[in-house]
Amino acid sequence: MTDPVIVSVGSSPVGRSELTGRDLFSVALGEAFEDLPAPAEVVEALYVGNQSETYEHQIMQGTLMAEWAGLRNVPAERVEGCAAAGALALKHAVEDVRRGTHDAVLACGVEKMTAGGTGGATDALSAAFDRALEQRSGVTAPSQYALLAQRYLHEYEATEEDLARIAVKNHANAASNPRAQFQSAVDVDTVLGSDYVAPPLKLFDCAPVGDAAATVLVATPDVADDLRSSDDRVRVTGAGSAANNLSVAERNMTFPEGANVAAERAYDQAGIDPVDVDVAEVHDAFTICEALLAEAAGFAPRGRGVESALTPTERSAGWTDVRMSTSGGLKARGHPIGATGILQAIEAYEQLTGQAGDRQVDGADTALLMNEGGVADAVTVSHVVET
Amino acid sequence: MTPEELTPDSPFTLPGFFDALSDGRLVAAVCSCGEVLVPPRTACYACGGRDLELEDQPRTGEIYSYTEVRTAPPAFEDDAPYTVAVVELDSGARLLGRVDADYDAVAIGDDVELRVRDPTEAEREIALSHEQDWPIHVFETV
Ligand SMILES: [Zn+2]
Repeated sequence: MTDPVIVSVGSSPVGRSELTGRDLFSVALGEAFEDLPAPAEVVEALYVGNQSETYEHQIMQGTLMAEWAGLRNVPAERVEGCAAAGALALKHAVEDVRRGTHDAVLACGVEKMTAGGTGGATDALSAAFDRALEQRSGVTAPSQYALLAQRYLHEYEATEEDLARIAVKNHANAASNPRAQFQSAVDVDTVLGSDYVAPPLKLFDCAPVGDAAATVLVATPDVADDLRSSDDRVRVTGAGSAANNLSVAERNMTFPEGANVAAERAYDQAGIDPVDVDVAEVHDAFTICEALLAEAAGFAPRGRGVESALTPTERSAGWTDVRMSTSGGLKARGHPIGATGILQAIEAYEQLTGQAGDRQVDGADTALLMNEGGVADAVTVSHVVET
Repeated sequence: MTPEELTPDSPFTLPGFFDALSDGRLVAAVCSCGEVLVPPRTACYACGGRDLELEDQPRTGEIYSYTEVRTAPPAFEDDAPYTVAVVELDSGARLLGRVDADYDAVAIGDDVELRVRDPTEAEREIALSHEQDWPIHVFETV
């Protein structure tokens, strides 16, 4: 079977914007189709990852984005899985092309999460928690992840300074990513000196709120041949997803089993092992997530995922040489919820086609993407991308 | 469990679960595999089985993890900062809730007991119509 390929990518800037969701999508689409025929001449279907209709009081994002792309009467739908919505859109596009349902599908993500201010974002994100016991207790996204971090630091030889190093690494990576929301490096003291949002997590352990849209064109190799040289494409060789319980309290809180299952499924389909992965974009909405996902992805031994910011030679035995969150991750590239999974795919595309500039990992030919929705692995979507 | 038995009086439904909780009864569904589900569900996420029985549970347990909410959702702003925790009940079930103690006074492993109270005026304001009389659960250190 021939693997679907990503043949073109585009994104809006990530961060607070005066543009609306559809405008941001126009910006992303403009980049992706800059030197291609119009979408209507290529695209057969469209999926839009979008977290919440509360930001812009707008559902029907499938219809809206198809309309804004000049596509009429194509299959188009919004997919929802909180922050995993973008990767779910990508997975649908990849599976449509792999099965032969369509030859070219646009996978999109869009979020205008600053529309309701901090309170609006806090409230919209809390809808991802169990209504009956969790939402009514007044828990927030940072405090949910703080519960994970607190337990992890209790069980393992790991410290808040270890988590701070992950933030420092991801800010440094973002500083060489023109798409990133944060363009400046920070040091460990700055991270450790920032205010607690929900202890042990501090402001600099948290991804920012931001707006953005992003899109990738997924197509058969034949369609891709008509559009571009074969150097400018990557293959999506594996995809997997897994939903675990909605409440984090009912899950394994020190090892995200759902994320592990999703990654294993993607590895199995691609026929690769964790050690084969050169670069990984994981769901570091909070620094603790990168540590947990390093372990779930099979990159690190249990309890040592916090070493993701160290160079391969500095890491404990059992670690692979993978480079994590080269884009700056959710932490510093930014986390415009529904667009995040697509932004992860764009980083894989740029790394594997040698277009990653100063953050280029030499010889990178295999990438793993892990996009989560709800708290941690309530749902996880993984993709393997190869040259 | 037949569809006819799934009425708002049954703790297998949320209205039934919260009714029992108002009366001080913490009801779980206990699966034949041993898993304890709070609130009760009609299928077990651990084994996939549907052989579950309702059982009253002890309301005591210990802090499994905890933190402090400093920036609260808009509806709870007046309460902040407040402590939330994941508590492992003596039955092995884990659930999240507020702790009626300052963050600095709480540690992993501390014994707690689940209590319930009526929702405040502010909480009733954001409650959905079917949630108006549902009690709020809180863990107290013991
Ligand atoms: Zn069971």
